[in-house]
Amino acid sequence: MALVHKLLNGIYILRKCPMPSAASCLFLGPHFADYCSSSLQKPVTAPGKVDYPQGKSKRDLQAHHQTEVALDITSEDKPEVSFDKAIRNEIKDHFLRLKDEFVNRWIGPEGRPLHEVLLEQAKVVWQFRGKEDLDKWIVTSDKTIGGRSEVFLKMGKNNQSALLYGNLSSEAPHDGESGHSGYCAMISRIPRGPFERKKSYDWSQFNTLYLRVRGDGRPWMVNIREDTDIIQKKNQMYSYFMFTRGGPYWQEVKIPFSKFFFSNQGRIRDAQFQLLLDKISSIGLTLADKVDGPFFLEIDFIGVFTDPAHKEEFAYENSPDLNPRLFK
Amino acid sequence: MNPIIFITILLTLILGTVITMISSNWLMAWMGLEINMFAIIPLIIKQHNPRSIEAATKYFLTQATASMILLLAALMNFMYSGQWTIMNFTNSMPPFLALMALTMKLGMAPFHFWVPEVTQGSHLTSAAILLTWQKLAPLSILYQIFPSINHNLLLYSGILSIILGGWGGLNQTQLRKILAYSSIAHMGWMAIIISYEPSLMLLNLIIYILMTLSSFMLLIGNSNTSTASLAIMSNKTPLTMIMLMGVLLSLGGLPPLSGFMPKWLIIQEMTKNNSIILPLIMAMLALLNLYFYMRLIYSSALTMFPSNNNMKMKWKYTNLSYSTLLPTMFTLSMLSLPLTPMMNLLL
Repeated sequence: MALVHKLLNGIYILRKCPMPSAASCLFLGPHFADYCSSSLQKPVTAPGKVDYPQGKSKRDLQAHHQTEVALDITSEDKPEVSFDKAIRNEIKDHFLRLKDEFVNRWIGPEGRPLHEVLLEQAKVVWQFRGKEDLDKWIVTSDKTIGGRSEVFLKMGKNNQSALLYGNLSSEAPHDGESGHSGYCAMISRIPRGPFERKKSYDWSQFNTLYLRVRGDGRPWMVNIREDTDIIQKKNQMYSYFMFTRGGPYWQEVKIPFSKFFFSNQGRIRDAQFQLLLDKISSIGLTLADKVDGPFFLEIDFIGVFTDPAHKEEFAYENSPDLNPRLFK
Repeated sequence: MNPIIFITILLTLILGTVITMISSNWLMAWMGLEINMFAIIPLIIKQHNPRSIEAATKYFLTQATASMILLLAALMNFMYSGQWTIMNFTNSMPPFLALMALTMKLGMAPFHFWVPEVTQGSHLTSAAILLTWQKLAPLSILYQIFPSINHNLLLYSGILSIILGGWGGLNQTQLRKILAYSSIAHMGWMAIIISYEPSLMLLNLIIYILMTLSSFMLLIGNSNTSTASLAIMSNKTPLTMIMLMGVLLSLGGLPPLSGFMPKWLIIQEMTKNNSIILPLIMAMLALLNLYFYMRLIYSSALTMFPSNNNMKMKWKYTNLSYSTLLPTMFTLSMLSLPLTPMMNLLL
């Protein structure tokens, strides 16, 4: 489990290495280039070959694969480490993404025709059907601040769901300054376009969040972050609670976007604002219920839809006593 | 907002622009621009939410940078020529800096990135002021200094604005962003023609302001901010829908409407100056703008889109907040094409 987690992180480090830390990339490159140039799924070509057989036809390659798969599997230990090739592939991939962006823009928003986008009433945004779907999420726990919670993410049975599991420990880290601890979270990565430009989701046609989960009775918090252009926006998020039942049946959680409340730097603010849906950048599920022990959450998919019966625009009011400035 | 404060802010806004327009001193012009910028920031934050504060921050950062660069241009001009009067520059560096500053202020490419974000983040009324009134002051400075600005740079900036204004508006469902991209494209047309015939730039500005204000007034009347909410407008107020359709077609430059007038005269002026390919490219790129207006009209006036109950509930409430100037603005922005032969007399 930890190995899978580490492998996933390894791929992340090479692919998402930003330009300014090119030096560290160069240092880390050779260690992780093997994950890039030979992916985890494909069998490798014949051992001892230095470069990919680019001149060869597909038939020859297949023949090679057929002969090689039967052989010793430990040939995977020595994949070719071609740093230049990895860089070139990365650049080519970025230019391909740029070209896709232009073509998709011509077709319509997100590559689909506009009338289709406007008429859409339900959309699955994240689903868990393979390892590449797990790559879109980051799992984190209070281990980063010195706590003892552990959290892992893996694919569930038959690759039909993802299982987020681990152990929550509310023992405070012994660093002399934190008094509380104990949280585990799964946060979606911000979608990136060409050259690692941050993109955002536009959910303005929808009004409810839909999650199909199977939990263990613990209360989770669903957090939505908006576009993080400006530095202050990194600390702002909109949250709501998701109470899971422990049963063997799948649970469908529908949270209207009007119910999300605003918090800044982890504190719920007196001044509440509506969640605006045209620039959502990431969603997260957090467990911080101060109960020590193991936990698990199985997630089938996360989507958004339009609930025609839901008429509320915003569930909270601002009070002139607490925030007179808002009413000037 | 408290009415007294609101009036004060509006008057300050007007003061800033008027100071820039009537001044012959570089420092006074800069001062007017700064007063203008400070006055509009509370208008952007009129509706308190994190998005509008983000919009105000982005607006402040870009406009303050542009003001600083303009002040640098004025100081360099003083260094080279020894006087503060707004005249044609003597050296080549100050006009380049001034052009950069003015393109940032106006939201022309390559400094156009703030326009859709700021327009989207602010309330409809503030967005209307942002896209119309805020263009007056920088354009008045540009009008005075255009002979010494590098003609090619202005042309490149203009054509890039037209391209990006058309391309950027293609997939928008938010109405304020659509009008922001239309503003970028129109600024491009104005920038290109200023070197040939500055009075045509003024004509384009006036017609653009009329059309944009009419469209904003119609949207404010129904509090529409996205294409989906336009869908229900045809059932509630069919007259508003027809008017919006007319104004959008006029913005796109379709012939019998007055939006065609500036485009026609600009193309005519450029061909008289032996520039054939550029107006051809400009006219073809204007089709991109027309395409997304037509798509908006299609989704609102010509078809009835499914919408959720939230929007349907708006049927119950009739809106009485249309501006009294709306019929006048609408008529001027749609039906003034026959006045074209008189334009030589007016300008």
